[in-house]
Amino acid sequence: MARESGLQGWRWREASVLPGFGLTLGYTVLYLSLIVLLPIAALVVKATTAPLDAVLHTLAEPRVLAALRLSFGAALLAASINAVFGLVVAWVLTRYDFAGRRLLDALIDLPFALPTAVSGIALVTVFADDGMVGQWLAALGLKVAYTWVGVTVALTLIGIPFVVRTLQPAIMALDPAVEEAAISLGASRWHTFLRVILPAILPALLTGFTLAFARGVGEYGSVIFIAGNVPLHTEIMPLLIIIKLEQFDYTGAAILGFLMLALSFVMLLVINLLQAWQRRRLGLGA
Amino acid sequence: MSIRFEQVTKRYRGVPVVNDVTLEVAKGEFFVLLGASGSGKSTLLRGIAGLTDIDHGRIALHGRDVTFVNPRDRGVGFVFQHYALFRNMSIADNIEFALRIRGVPAARRRERRRELLRLVALEGMDERLPSQLSGGQQQRVAVARALAHEPGVLLLDEPFGALDAKIRTELRRTVREVQRRLGTTTILVTHDQEEAFSLADRIGVMHMGRLLETGQPQQLYRQPATRFVATFLGAANLLLGEVATPYRVRVGQAMINHASQARPDAVSSTEVVTVVRPEDIELARHRQVLANPCLGEGQVLETSFGGGVGRLLVQVGAGANLRAAARVDAQVHPGLAPGACLLEVTRTAAEAMAMPLAAGDSIALGVRRLHVLPTPVSSFLFRAPTREAVLELRQSPLVAQLVQSTRANLSETIVAEEQPGTATLRSAGLVVVDNTGRTPAEIASLVAHGARRLLCVPRGAALPRRVIIHCPDDAPQGEAMGLVASLVRHINAEATFVSVMRRDAVAAERTRVLRRLLDTRAEVRASHGLDLRTELLEGAVSEQLLALASGPDPALLVMGIDGDRAEIEAALVRDLGWLFDADARWPLLLSYSGPRPAALAAVL
Amino acid sequence: MATPAAWLEERGHASRWRSRMVRGLLIGIAALFLGVILLLPLVTVFVEAFDRGIGFYREALVDPDALAAMRLTLLVTALVVPLNTLFGIAAAYAIARFSFRGKSVLTTLIDLPFAVSPVISGLAYVLVFGASGWFGPWLEERDIEVIFALPGIVLVTLFVTFPYVARELLPLMQMLGTDEEEAAISLGAGGWTTFFKVTLPKIQWGVIYGVILCNARAMGEFGAVAVVSGHIRGLTTTMPLHVEILYNEFNQVAAFAVASVLSLLALVTLAIKTAIEWRTGHRGGH
Repeated sequence: MARESGLQGWRWREASVLPGFGLTLGYTVLYLSLIVLLPIAALVVKATTAPLDAVLHTLAEPRVLAALRLSFGAALLAASINAVFGLVVAWVLTRYDFAGRRLLDALIDLPFALPTAVSGIALVTVFADDGMVGQWLAALGLKVAYTWVGVTVALTLIGIPFVVRTLQPAIMALDPAVEEAAISLGASRWHTFLRVILPAILPALLTGFTLAFARGVGEYGSVIFIAGNVPLHTEIMPLLIIIKLEQFDYTGAAILGFLMLALSFVMLLVINLLQAWQRRRLGLGA
Repeated sequence: MSIRFEQVTKRYRGVPVVNDVTLEVAKGEFFVLLGASGSGKSTLLRGIAGLTDIDHGRIALHGRDVTFVNPRDRGVGFVFQHYALFRNMSIADNIEFALRIRGVPAARRRERRRELLRLVALEGMDERLPSQLSGGQQQRVAVARALAHEPGVLLLDEPFGALDAKIRTELRRTVREVQRRLGTTTILVTHDQEEAFSLADRIGVMHMGRLLETGQPQQLYRQPATRFVATFLGAANLLLGEVATPYRVRVGQAMINHASQARPDAVSSTEVVTVVRPEDIELARHRQVLANPCLGEGQVLETSFGGGVGRLLVQVGAGANLRAAARVDAQVHPGLAPGACLLEVTRTAAEAMAMPLAAGDSIALGVRRLHVLPTPVSSFLFRAPTREAVLELRQSPLVAQLVQSTRANLSETIVAEEQPGTATLRSAGLVVVDNTGRTPAEIASLVAHGARRLLCVPRGAALPRRVIIHCPDDAPQGEAMGLVASLVRHINAEATFVSVMRRDAVAAERTRVLRRLLDTRAEVRASHGLDLRTELLEGAVSEQLLALASGPDPALLVMGIDGDRAEIEAALVRDLGWLFDADARWPLLLSYSGPRPAALAAVL
Repeated sequence: MATPAAWLEERGHASRWRSRMVRGLLIGIAALFLGVILLLPLVTVFVEAFDRGIGFYREALVDPDALAAMRLTLLVTALVVPLNTLFGIAAAYAIARFSFRGKSVLTTLIDLPFAVSPVISGLAYVLVFGASGWFGPWLEERDIEVIFALPGIVLVTLFVTFPYVARELLPLMQMLGTDEEEAAISLGAGGWTTFFKVTLPKIQWGVIYGVILCNARAMGEFGAVAVVSGHIRGLTTTMPLHVEILYNEFNQVAAFAVASVLSLLALVTLAIKTAIEWRTGHRGGH
C-alpha cells in the first residue's frame, strides 16, 4: 500500500505517467459492482434480515444437518485422498521423465475443462453396479453409485487439479542439493522425505487441500448424478438450496446459501494465512 | 591413504566428463580440485560422495572400497555451493540432523552442536532459522552440519562461490582453521586459483575431465608440465625456444640456463615450449644495463596500474627472432606490428617508480628465469600440396579440436607429393598430413625425413572418443607415451594401451607381456601424470587392432615406432595395413623414437 | 558371515535397485489413479455415445432440442466471453499499472466468484431479479424476463466466469512491468496507441489463455445455470442442461452424444492451453 510523507498529505493514488487510470478503474469497479457485488449483497441482506426463528428452524432441519454432514464429510475425505494421490502425481510429473508424462500432465486440467454435468453422468456409468469399475467394487461389497462413496469419488475428480497444480511449483522449487545434503548426512530416503521434503512442501499441500475442499463443498454438477439424492442420506447442500428454491422458500435458501458463503470465506482466509506462512517461513517475505 | 580413486570415469551421453582420474589424497590433507566450469571437477566430487554414480573405476575411503556403497553409508560431509540448509529447521536442528539419524543421545548432540558452532564462530545462533542468517553465516552452518557426524572426509563444492569477496576471505580462513584443528581429510572444488593457492596443501588441476597435474601450489606454478596449467595458474608468456645443450635453451637472442633437463628427448636444436612468468622479465632502458640474459629489444604497447603491481604489454619486433608458442588470434592488439611477439610483464610499485614507462617507450627485456615444458607438441606443421588442402586438413574435427585447445603455433609447408622432406620437418613439433590415399611407404618416407611426430588424418575422420595405443614389442615407448599424454588432454577420449600376444604364447611370454603392460601404465602415470587403461588381447596383431578400432565409438590409433625407413614401412604394413584401405577413416599418430637420420645429421 | 564392507556394498546395490522400484511404483500409482478417476470417465463418454452406432449418434445431435441447446450455449458464450475479456484487461491494467488505495481489496473481490458455489451464485441472482427479488416487481411491471430466461443465464455465466481473464493477466502484467509503456509515452505515443502497439502484443498469450479457460467454463457451466434457467426445453436449456434432461429421461445414449460434443470441446481447450504453455513456458494459476 502506498505510504507518502506527511508533507505531501494523503493521496489515494501515486502519480504515474501512464494514461487510462480513470477509465480502467472506473469500468472495473462498476462492472464488479453490478455482476458480483450486487447479487452477493442481495443474498447477504436476505439472509441477515431473516427472522431468528426462521434461521433456527432451517438449520435444525434433519435434512439440512444430514446434507451438511455429507457435503463437508465427503469433501474432507476427497480432499484427503487428493492430498495423498495428488502428492504422488505431482511428484511423478515434476521429478521423473517417462513416456507419456506430458500427456498425463495435460490430463490433470481435465476437471477444469470438462463440464461438470458430463463428468457427472460419466462417473455414474463407470461406477454403477454394472459399470466398468463399479462391477468389480460391487463384487467386493462396495457400492459406489448412489451412496456417500460415490459423492466422494466425484469430489475427488473435481479436486485433483487444485492439489496437483499447487504442489507442482513447490516441488519444482525444492533444491535437489537439500535432499543430497540429507542423504550425505546419512538420512534414508524415507527419512529425507518426512523430515526434509514434506515440511518444505507442506504449506503448498495444505493450500491445495483447502482449495480442493472448498471447491468440493460447493460442487453440484458432477455430484448430483452419482449421489442418487436420497433425503437424509445422499443429499448435498447445493441440492438442498435448489430444493428450497423450487419450494419458493427463498428465505431458507438464502440462509443456507449465506452459511456456505461464510464457510467459504473462512477457508479463503485460511488459504491466505497459509500462503503468508509459507512466504515468511521460507524467508521470502519482508 | 585416506581417499583413493582408481581410473574413475563418468560419461554423459557417451562423452566422458570425468576421464580416468586416479588420485590419492593423504590423511589430513587439504586438497583443492581446480578447474574451469565444465572441467568435471564437481562431478568427480559428487562421485566421491556417491551423489553421482560413476561408470568405471573404484573409489576407496580410508582403505574401504565404497564404489557401490550408498551415499548415506559413506561417512562423508558435503558442503554445497548454495548451502542447501534445511529451511524449515532451526540452526540447531540442522547441525544435529546427522546425529539424530545415528541415534546420538540429546545431551551428546547438544554438546557437539555447541562445539561446532564455536568452531565456526556462530555461538548463540542455535534457535535461528536459516532465513535469518546472512549468506556467509549460512555457509558456516553448512560446514558445521557437514562435520557433525565426524566424517572422515569433508567435501566442499565451490563453497564460497555465492559469497562476496570480503566474506569469502573470512570464511576461507575459518574453513582452513577448522580443517587444521580437526585434521579432516578435505577436498575442495573451485574455479578460483587464488582460493586454491591460499587453501591447498596440494592442488589438482582438471581440464576436460582429466586430472592434468597435481602438486603443491609453488611447484605447480614454478614447474608446470602442461600448457594448460602454465596459463591457467597465473599469467604466463609461452615462448618457443630451441635446445642448445641439455641445460641451456635459446629463446630469442638469449641463451638461458635452466635448472633441470625438462625434455628427456631434448637433443640439440629440438624445438621446445618455455614458460616465462611476467614477473620474471626484467626491463631496462638499454640492453647493456640488464642484469639477466637479453631476450630482445621492444616497445611498450600499454601500461595499466594494478595497485601493488603494474602490468605492461610489450612487443618485441620480428627482427629479434622471438616466437610465441601460443597464437594470439582473438584480440590482436591494435598497436602490434606484424610478426612481432607480444609479452606480458609485471613490475612491483618500487620498480615502476624507479623507471616510469609509457606506451611507445623503447626498452630492453631480460629473462630472470624460465621453465621448459616437457610437451613434444610445441607447434603444428601442416604439410600438403596446396593451400586448400591445408585448410581442409585444419577443418577435420580432430585437428580443429587440437589446434583450438592447445593454442599452439601453426605453420604450413606446401610441397608437391613425392617430394622428399625438408629441414622444416625436423624442427616441427607435430607434423600433420592428409592420409587419404597414402601408402605405408609414403608415411615411412616422411618419418625417415625427420617427421618424428606425425599425425595422419584421412578425409572424413570423426572426432575420436577412444585412443588406442600400440607399440610393437621391440619399440621403446617413452616418447610415444609423452606424445599421447600431451595430446589426449585436449580431446575427450579414453586412452587404452594395448598389447597383443600370440594365442599359442607360452606362460613366460604371457608374463612378460603382462608385466610390460603394467610397467608402461605405471611409468606413464609417474612421468606424465596420465592414467591409461590397459588391454591384453590374444591373436594376430593386425586382426585384433582392427577389431578394437572398429568399435562403435570413433578411435584414434597411436603407434610407437623406430628403425629405418624399410623397418617403419614393414611395421605399418604388418600391424596397421587395414588403415590404408580406401575407405578407412581412422586417424593415425606416429611417434618415432629412433636415431636421427644420417642425412639430416649432416645438415646440422 | 559377510564382512561389514561387503554388507554395505550389498546395501548400496539394493538401494539402487530399490530406487528404480520406487520410481516405477510411484509412476504406476499416479497413472492408475489418474486413469481410473480422469481417463476412464472421459473414455466412457465416447464409448456410450457411440453405443448404438453412428446413425443414432447423429440423430441425437440433430434433434431440434439439441440444436436449440447448442445455439443457446453458443449465444451465451458469445456474449459472456467478450464482456469478461474486456473486463479482465481493464482490471489487470488498472491494478498492475497503478498504485492506489484499496488495491488489495479490489484484487480479493475479483477472486470472489471462485469461492462461491455456482448454485449459490444462481440463488443470489434469483434474489435480485426473481419474482420476489429486489427488482422483481419492477421488472414484472415492464414485462422483462430475467430469471428463467436468456438474461438470467447470461448473468450467472458472467458471474461464474468473471475472474478467469483478470486472474491470468494480473500476474503477467505485474511481471512484465511498465518500462516499455513508459518508453512509448516518452517517445510521444498516445494512450490508445501505447495500449494497442505495446501493451496488448506483450500480453496476447495471457489473454488467449484466459479466454480459453473462460470459454470452457462458460460453455460447461451447470449448477448456476440450472438454478436460473427453469429448464424450458428448446428455450432455456443450455447443452449441459440438455444432457441432464436426456439423462434423467433415461435416454442415456443421446445424453452421452451431446456430452461427447462438450468433451471434445474440453479436449480442444486442453490442447490449446497446453500448446500455449509450451510456447510461452508459462503455466497459469487457477
